[in-house]
Amino acid sequence: MIDFTLSKSQQAAREYAHQVALEEMRPISLQCDQTEEIPEAFFWNMQKRFWAGAAGQARQQAEREDEKQGNVLSVISQEEMAWGDAALSTAIPGPGLAAPPILSQGTPEQQMRFLGPYMDGKLHWGALALTEPGIGSDVAGMSTTAVLDGDEWVINGHKHYITNGARADLVVTFATIDKSLGREGIRPFVVPKGTPGFNVGRIEQKMGLRASQTAELIFENCRLPKENLLSGREQSKKAGFKAAMGTLDATRPMVGALAVGIARAAYEATCEWIQEELPEGYPAQKRREIEAELEEIGQELEMARFLVWRAAWMLDRRTPNSKEASMCKAYAGGLIMKATAAAVRITAPGENSERRLLIHKWFRDAKVFDIFEGTAQIQRLVIARRLFPEVDIP
Amino acid sequence: MLNFAPTEEQEEIRNLAHSVASEQLRPRARDAEKRGDIAPELMQTLAQTGLTTPFPEAFGGSGAIEAISCTLIAEELGFGDGGLALNVIGSLMGPLAVALAGNESQQQRYIPPFCDERQGYLQRGSFAFAERTGGYTLAEINTTIQWRGEHGFINGTKRSVIHGTGSNPSVVLARQEGTAGAEGLCAVIVPAELEGMSIKRDALKLGLSAAPSASFVFENAAVPGTQVLGKPGNSGVIRAATLYQILRAAVACGMARAALEYAKDYAKDRYAFGRPIASYQGIAFMIAEMAMKLDAARLLVWKAAQSWDKGDECADYTREAESAQYQAIKIAKSATIDAIQVLGGAGFLQDHPAEMWARDAAEME
Repeated sequence: MIDFTLSKSQQAAREYAHQVALEEMRPISLQCDQTEEIPEAFFWNMQKRFWAGAAGQARQQAEREDEKQGNVLSVISQEEMAWGDAALSTAIPGPGLAAPPILSQGTPEQQMRFLGPYMDGKLHWGALALTEPGIGSDVAGMSTTAVLDGDEWVINGHKHYITNGARADLVVTFATIDKSLGREGIRPFVVPKGTPGFNVGRIEQKMGLRASQTAELIFENCRLPKENLLSGREQSKKAGFKAAMGTLDATRPMVGALAVGIARAAYEATCEWIQEELPEGYPAQKRREIEAELEEIGQELEMARFLVWRAAWMLDRRTPNSKEASMCKAYAGGLIMKATAAAVRITAPGENSERRLLIHKWFRDAKVFDIFEGTAQIQRLVIARRLFPEVDIP
Repeated sequence: MLNFAPTEEQEEIRNLAHSVASEQLRPRARDAEKRGDIAPELMQTLAQTGLTTPFPEAFGGSGAIEAISCTLIAEELGFGDGGLALNVIGSLMGPLAVALAGNESQQQRYIPPFCDERQGYLQRGSFAFAERTGGYTLAEINTTIQWRGEHGFINGTKRSVIHGTGSNPSVVLARQEGTAGAEGLCAVIVPAELEGMSIKRDALKLGLSAAPSASFVFENAAVPGTQVLGKPGNSGVIRAATLYQILRAAVACGMARAALEYAKDYAKDRYAFGRPIASYQGIAFMIAEMAMKLDAARLLVWKAAQSWDKGDECADYTREAESAQYQAIKIAKSATIDAIQVLGGAGFLQDHPAEMWARDAAEME
């Protein structure tokens, strides 16, 4: 039955994440952005909040409800936390983007071995390494190689734009076992921190999401035990590529949710600015115009959120969702640009209040949401390929 | 709990509506446009499906109105043909307003004729919403009703009233003098002829020609208090007005989907420089964009329909219905225009329905 109301556990997840955003993120948001550093206390607070207490309870409650809803709960929380601070939300301890490929491609033994340590009450992160200096969405051109030498895989190559790359305890790294196979030669490997031959290169300085750590990773004859290849579920040739793409089907709704959260923050701040900071003598006609513009952005926010929810809901039901995941990512990516640009423009006549500094930050944070996890153009390509399965769209 | 799938029963209704739309409405759309109305035999076929009698069973209907199901049906009808869909829905809104806002004797009088198995398909109702000074939002209803003794005096205009001539009941939305927004809205049944009321049939319309419409002018037109549906300002009036917005939005989604599917099929079969034009990103991205925006708008329409069904705070569902209507018509307009573009020169010809659909979508305002 079509239903847009959140269940109790969904509502609880939203409220809890909102509280975290309000209490832990907003107060340090500008500072972390300026210094590009996150206080250690934030990590520990997040560790406590997300691996114990109310969040743990919400998770248990969710498990008791009939249907699996991990992805729906996740996008609901992500929106709230990005409303707080998207850069900080990417730095919350946990396996992060490493989890989806381990869960979808790892054997039960591998899942235990790699994800088990995250429950030990200490600070751990995970990362996913797909992008290289020479390739982004075109994963078939991947140049990082993995060669089997006796009982060990030897990895060589460069990865970049890796979120939490320098602090991750393990990095799921995609590499090709045979370049001539194109995308079918791609496999996911789990590379633990400290493995000889695995080094962190430079940490990038960025337009936005400055508190989020973006690292370059370098693999030089990095030797891994054979058992670190994730290939448990599917033995077919396409397994590796599927893992990479399947990860995107799962992470695109999350990224869409983050974009909705930032767009909403900018939208709300602009509405509040009109209420509280509108300069004296501001023309009434112009006020009506910006209010009409904001009303439309409010509607688009709602549509973006529903697209995100739907894509996550399909994922929970194990319904193929590539098209819908790309739709929500593309739509939210467009909206975040529109909402943050409007916020900057509308509030431009005002003083540089904290509200306006946050708006400027969100504008800088926004642009990458139209780019990572597949650019706006790649999303449209994915949608089009699903709409035209019989047509070859190069 | 979040859920984006219709129930099995709703799926069945939707499938039925889809086959009626593609087998009956679509092939007869041009004919209806030229004729300026739905053919009686087509209306009879539609009536036989039971899709056009969303009234309580006590009056002989197929069950009280439920917005989600009707939204699904309306989208399918709009997919068949927007003009014919609005012809049917515009008519139904008359008795539906009576069902939602009227008292029992009004319901007894006006609803059963529509459910009559033999003659029901010949009945037409109407619901006058938009005015010369605006569009389809509650705030833009400026026609007033002022009470003097037993009579209400109506002043104002109505435009684009589907089946504005020859309908019974002909329901007119007005507001108690001195009220604004959703407050003080009244629905009044006006007779075919009334002193102080003039009706003029709309001619030379840009689109939606298959849905005949008329404009009203009221100058101190007096109606007895018994012609008001229920008590003035009752929530049933707001529910009726909001339902119309939701169904218009659903029809608009159907129109957009028709354009999307048509453009898709064309782009697959049409070759340029040795390849289907769908294989070029300039075309493929345009179609991807249509599909994405349509899905977004449809979810907004479903949300409004669900709130309407739940009977939440009426401030919520009126806002949602108006947002949904705005966004759905927006995508209907852009998708139909873009469909012409995908078809290129062929899209400009009446050999294809795209040009008619673009005119229809523009006429929704």
